[in-house]
Amino acid sequence: MTVRALRDVRVLLPFAALIAIWWGLKAGFDISDKLLVAPPQVWSSFVILVTHGILAEYVSTSLRMIGIATLISFAIGVPLGFAVGTNRYAARALEGFLRYLQGISGIAWLPLAILWCGFTHTTTLVIVIYTLIVPIVFNTMTGVRAIPENYILALRSLGASRLRIVTDVYFPGALPSIVVGTRLGMGYGWRALIASEMLVRQGGLGDLIFGARTFNQIDRIMVGMVIIGTLYIVVDRLLVQPVESMTLARWGVLRK
Amino acid sequence: MSADKIVVSGFRHYFQSESGPVQATGVIDVTIREGEVVTLVGPSGCGKTTLLKAIAGFINPSEGQILCDGHQVRGPGRERGVVFQELAILPWRTVRRNIAHGLEIARVPKPERDRTVDRLIGLMGLVGFEDRYPHELSGGMRQRVAVARTWAADPAVILMDEPFAAVDAMTRLTLQEELGRLCATTHKTVFFITHSVEEAVFLGDRVLVMTKRPGTIKAVLDVPRHGKGGRDWDSFTGDPEMRAISEQVMHLVHAERV
Repeated sequence: MTVRALRDVRVLLPFAALIAIWWGLKAGFDISDKLLVAPPQVWSSFVILVTHGILAEYVSTSLRMIGIATLISFAIGVPLGFAVGTNRYAARALEGFLRYLQGISGIAWLPLAILWCGFTHTTTLVIVIYTLIVPIVFNTMTGVRAIPENYILALRSLGASRLRIVTDVYFPGALPSIVVGTRLGMGYGWRALIASEMLVRQGGLGDLIFGARTFNQIDRIMVGMVIIGTLYIVVDRLLVQPVESMTLARWGVLRK
Repeated sequence: MSADKIVVSGFRHYFQSESGPVQATGVIDVTIREGEVVTLVGPSGCGKTTLLKAIAGFINPSEGQILCDGHQVRGPGRERGVVFQELAILPWRTVRRNIAHGLEIARVPKPERDRTVDRLIGLMGLVGFEDRYPHELSGGMRQRVAVARTWAADPAVILMDEPFAAVDAMTRLTLQEELGRLCATTHKTVFFITHSVEEAVFLGDRVLVMTKRPGTIKAVLDVPRHGKGGRDWDSFTGDPEMRAISEQVMHLVHAERV
């Protein structure tokens, strides 16, 4: 219990140090409120945003967008990854292409997406799905390709149909990779989402902090940044990582 | 005389490589009769696995044909079970569910499936490990599961590709005896590939010796089985007749050293 508590404290230490340095700089150099505000001001701004329901509004928009984008990317990316992974020629042809696409970040697609879809949620969704789907397809594909051929041959000799091989070998075999890909994708997707919201300005945390900039509301910008980081950790650690360790512990490590 | 189960005639196989076709085997004719254990011993790269894969239906022969019960082999099928050297049982299934897999696929009702699986768990010394996952087992245990899975599906012919090559020497002796007993009690038709002369003579009713690549069948030796199969290492090593056959096979194999 105490060891665990100590470990938790250790995780929080860098955050405490950052706040201390920030506060020290602000007080020590008497920095103007136009450039940097002190932690208590950020806190009171946070309280105002929460009590007026403003934060909930922006947070729910961002969370809804990342949620929808993840579901759509999963539904399209996993079957696509299977199709490519089970076909040796398609896999070889697409591997380089997918790597290339990873080089063009979602944000680089924003100008085109805005021209095509305007300043709408659709634009943001397109950008986030694009960002999310590539790691999902890529990891599903590599997961499928890493399955030893003997698993498949053995099952065919037991009389298994093609569908049976998909459900009994390909899916469980690739699942740990699929989860890893989804987790990676959600991390990239979250960043792309904030960036897109800043330009599209139709709600979401990106909109909140970019809008606050217009009125020099540094306290509000900083609240938004803290929330962006916190939500990422909460979703990743409390939702996605447990699923990952579950599949890895049961299946992934078993592969030898 | 038993019926012919597997008939390989005029078989020859080529692989495509960048510099053109490579001959994997010479011309091979083999007949495996119902209920016998045929072992095939040959130097590595001679094409013995290619032959097994063709009988299993994983590859199409470049030349010749393969018959199973008089029907041409056109792909894998549940009447021809395969035991691989390694990496064949599924890591995400427990021992019990791995062994039951073939029966599940064949839609055998659960009570009957359980009976068969329990019997094989007993025969293969896996009692107490039913609910373990493969990564919790030793290499030898995993091969027992692979053997049990194939036997549970009750194929007419069982093809084994060096199934004990990757386990340690001590465990191998036990597994060979267990397989010997399994063959004797179930009267399965078995085609067993190995590069160990002793293993070939110990298990085989007939031993086929292959030449080096591109391999052909160089010799066929009958191994007399006394009593109930007589496959235990104590009596095997003390039997002068077995020693003579082993030496004979050893000479034939030695001449093929690569």
